[in-house]
Amino acid sequence: MNLGISALDYIEAIKNGEFTVEEFVSETFDQIKKVDGKLHAYLSLNDKALDQAKELDKKRKAKEKIGSCMGMPIAIKDNICVKGAKTTCASKMLEKYTAPFDATVIARLRKQDALFIGKTNLDEFAMGTTTEFSVYGPSKNPWNQEYVPGGSSGGSAVAVSALESVVSLGSDTGGSVRNPASFCSIVGLKPTYGLVSRYGLISYANSIEQIGPMARTVKDTAFLLNVISGIDPNDNTTIDNHGEDYLKNIDSGIDGKKIGIISEMVGKGTDNTVSSATKKALAKFEDLGAKCEEIPIDMVDYSVASYYTITSTEAGSNLARYDNLRYGFDFDLEGYEFNSYISKARRSFGPEVTRRLIIGGFVPSAGHAGKYFLKALKVKSRLTKEINAAFKKVDFLVAPTVPILPFKFGEKLDDPVAMFLIDFNTVTANLTGKPAISVPFEISNGLPIGIQIIADSMQEKSLFQAAYALESTTNLPKVPL
Amino acid sequence: MLVSKEEIEHVAKLMRIDLDDHTVHIDRVQKMIEYFDILDKAGTESEELIINEQPLENLREDKYEPYGDKLIDKLKHYKEKFVRAPKMV
Repeated sequence: MNLGISALDYIEAIKNGEFTVEEFVSETFDQIKKVDGKLHAYLSLNDKALDQAKELDKKRKAKEKIGSCMGMPIAIKDNICVKGAKTTCASKMLEKYTAPFDATVIARLRKQDALFIGKTNLDEFAMGTTTEFSVYGPSKNPWNQEYVPGGSSGGSAVAVSALESVVSLGSDTGGSVRNPASFCSIVGLKPTYGLVSRYGLISYANSIEQIGPMARTVKDTAFLLNVISGIDPNDNTTIDNHGEDYLKNIDSGIDGKKIGIISEMVGKGTDNTVSSATKKALAKFEDLGAKCEEIPIDMVDYSVASYYTITSTEAGSNLARYDNLRYGFDFDLEGYEFNSYISKARRSFGPEVTRRLIIGGFVPSAGHAGKYFLKALKVKSRLTKEINAAFKKVDFLVAPTVPILPFKFGEKLDDPVAMFLIDFNTVTANLTGKPAISVPFEISNGLPIGIQIIADSMQEKSLFQAAYALESTTNLPKVPL
Repeated sequence: MLVSKEEIEHVAKLMRIDLDDHTVHIDRVQKMIEYFDILDKAGTESEELIINEQPLENLREDKYEPYGDKLIDKLKHYKEKFVRAPKMV
């Protein structure tokens, strides 16, 4: 059986009776057993998945209608709540937390009979770009296990890349879906802010983050967005997309479209190999009939500082709830005064979360807000204007997803500013709320390079068309497992 | 501008972060905040802030919906419908 088939082919195969859900799920678990000891994509597995698969097969045999996902295996980042499953955020703080409800995206997938295979690894509370900040240890890049898989949704990218699941969900606050998608050579989408409900996603920086689909093909990513997108009364920021079908006309091509290359994102700081891959991608776009021009977006140079100021501030309040009274329960109440008790309990946070919480207290505080937080908001505001102006001239903005190639474990761990700059090309889409997709484009010396396409708000449909057109020009090798 | 370690330690305390063995964090936090100085060069002083206001009628109806499970059972320190917390004074 080919575990590497796309979600759409899997669904066809089930419909045609080529194999059963049980057979496919059972083989997926065999694959996990075989590779996950090394790759560490998963933090926990769904031990009921096989029974659920059998149940679906039974229903199909009895000619009962089942949902459009037909038991398609999906892996879920461990900061998204699945009822009855542990949801740890890869943090010691939540190691014993079991979600009492389904996130909206999970409820929608469940309704369409997707099968949850397990919960995937991430940087603690999604703060990081390598999974090295997971309290359970990092995931490994299946293309070369000495290299980071990207993050923070690293486990979700590895699971899909290493055929341990057909598709997955991640969350993207500053590139956390697109970065690992690029590093592991899969497709990852950060939707328009508000297109996908965040209800049940454990908040880190809720004014800019989105749950995003991850898959091996652009079509699968569009299919997954069809299932999870749309208005939700439990998330007041959601937008009604009127049941848009993102798969329809996905092969329309991009003839006559205009593409802007963001100058700042291909300048200094971009690795030569990544630069030359980007040039090749632009040549492909031109072959497909698009017109490319360079567009400067001045505020991009300040976007990372703005991003970290805003996200740390929001993390500071979002993570205030972890006080050992409602979560944690590590030690008894006796003998402590209120503040010292909570401070002791909050030692359960790992180093990066601790640092960001301190920053999150500092940058918006009286006396410092004017220098940091308000300036960060102003940069966000100006950046949004600049990007909106760009979309008056062009249909898409393009840049490499990550300015550098995947790197080895530990390489950037001691240099916080180097870590910041990995996000240089991805945070703009979050700060401006625009949709952005990473498409695998090249494998250079065994290391993947992804190209990022950004579109205007709610233009996912044309974004997928551009991504599909680019994907069609590539013929990438299989992951060396 | 270098932010002083004392300032950072003060904020850490307000954020309820116990710094007994965290001196290593202070250095790194200092470096991170120092990077944010770049915001001074953005030239956005005159920029107006976008404030996202939501009229009340856009919010979902404020009505009680009973939850299936007894969530309080998931807590460790509780009595009837009260959560037990450490002494305030």
